[in-house]
Amino acid sequence: MLNAGGGVAVERAAPVSRRAKLLSTRFVARDTWWQEFDCPDIAAAALPGQFVMLGVGLDEPGAWLLPRPFSVGWTGPGGEVGILLRAYGQGTRALAKLEVGQTALLLGPLGRPFETEGADVECVAGGVGLAPFIFLAAREASAGRRVRLIYGERDAGAVFDPALIASLTDHDPELFTEDGSAGRKGLVTAGLDAASGALLLGCGPTPLLRALAAFARKHGRRLQVSVEEHMGCGIGTCQGCVVRGADGRWVKACIEGSVFPAEELDWGAI
Amino acid sequence: MLLASGTCGYGQEYAGLIPLDEIGGLVTKAVSLEPRPGNPPHRVAETPGGMINAIGLENPGLHGFIAEKLPWLREHLSRAQVFVNVVGHSAEDFAAVVSGLDGEDGFLGYEINVSCPNVKGGTMFGTDERALADLVARLRGCTERPLVIKLTPNVPDVGDFARICEEAGADGLSAINTFPGMVVDISRREPLIGNRSGGVSGPAILPMGVYATWRARQTCGLPIMGIGGIRNAEDALQYVLAGACLVQVGTASFVDPGAAVAVHEGISEYMQANGVARLEDLVGALGARPGAGPAIPAG
Repeated sequence: MLNAGGGVAVERAAPVSRRAKLLSTRFVARDTWWQEFDCPDIAAAALPGQFVMLGVGLDEPGAWLLPRPFSVGWTGPGGEVGILLRAYGQGTRALAKLEVGQTALLLGPLGRPFETEGADVECVAGGVGLAPFIFLAAREASAGRRVRLIYGERDAGAVFDPALIASLTDHDPELFTEDGSAGRKGLVTAGLDAASGALLLGCGPTPLLRALAAFARKHGRRLQVSVEEHMGCGIGTCQGCVVRGADGRWVKACIEGSVFPAEELDWGAI
Repeated sequence: MLLASGTCGYGQEYAGLIPLDEIGGLVTKAVSLEPRPGNPPHRVAETPGGMINAIGLENPGLHGFIAEKLPWLREHLSRAQVFVNVVGHSAEDFAAVVSGLDGEDGFLGYEINVSCPNVKGGTMFGTDERALADLVARLRGCTERPLVIKLTPNVPDVGDFARICEEAGADGLSAINTFPGMVVDISRREPLIGNRSGGVSGPAILPMGVYATWRARQTCGLPIMGIGGIRNAEDALQYVLAGACLVQVGTASFVDPGAAVAVHEGISEYMQANGVARLEDLVGALGARPGAGPAIPAG
């Protein structure tokens, strides 16, 4: 089966909705937690680049919280699903307060994954855009392949514990911070290698994705990006999470993405 | 009970997630005569006790719906009843969609959206008594299928507009659509939503929806679908007791795709626990205490 980008589309499992117990939660950086949920169905089916909608559901009287999309950050052999959660606002702060043993509602796996087809891969992550690449690097490591993982944060306080990354992925990320307080000083894009022919994968803030798209265009590199937009449902019903496609259409990040080959998007409008 | 328009796509999106044939049915995303691209992002955001949306009625248009969406509904649903939500810029648009669909199989009737706050002129018919009466009468001439009018709450008295729909030949009402609202992003000093304003839904509007249902029940005898902020069976039963004979679950499905199933089961449990044999006995039964015998329908 051919996808819109001309590559071979990966078979995706149908999403399921599951109430899942929080197995562990670990404070890993400023405002940032690594949470693992007991959710074997989603763990077995998820592919790197796919995401889950995570919320508390409707059971709490008076509670109201729309679910938020999170990249699947890792899947464990015991059916664990790991996510990297940075508390930006009211909703993510509420999710960060979940305690071990409490449950949350997970809907997934959702969206279009990265399609690497065994290629050499360079992953470029900004902030919690690191999450799908932990999953990808771990999968690749278990298949005996290595990926290059370039990870940028604003400063040392925001950096996700490198030792935990290494333990999950068997990879040491190349770290950049804007103020130089950890790793090399500079934007994560400073780590890009113009001479490399590897497939570029990007996830992070929109300015980073724009810079990657410009770099890829300039150097003739293949690039896939994971985009994010305010999302209501994650399954295409609300039509809320659109970005501008290269053909002028609004494309839905949740079901047509969230991973897109860069050439499918209108970078002038993103 | 039904899944509300705009929250369940065209049904297919929920295949495998919930048993559509066991909950009653659904109301499709709006269908217009021509395809509509929709509004720029952001299109949705959470609000206190709800959410705001300005999707802009993105849809594939009448012919796209018939070719791409209707076949799935026809082939995959057996017990679930489908209403097609219809929008238009003009009475001619509405009539063309209804006439264009009327010969097709795969759905029961129409929900006429005269109340969308997210497109220019979207509430024009729903807030103008004369225009609403003319539109309903015209559409009545286009179809013998059930014709349900989705009311806007943004009028002085929903009851007046409910009565107008009845007099013009409608078969039922949906009460209510979203409330217009705005969220400001104080960091950018701009409206958060790309369309600037949007429609507010969710639990925050539950009491307004229940009130609108009660007002409509007082002024007309049409069956009413109660909609607005329903999260659980208790919320749904408020609508029923206020006068709704059906309910629609909307925004809650985003929080839990199984919300409609839970509402359906919860209503059955309430009826069993209270010795209610038929839901009709609860419709508009305000004042009839549990165990006090059959309620006398109002109106």
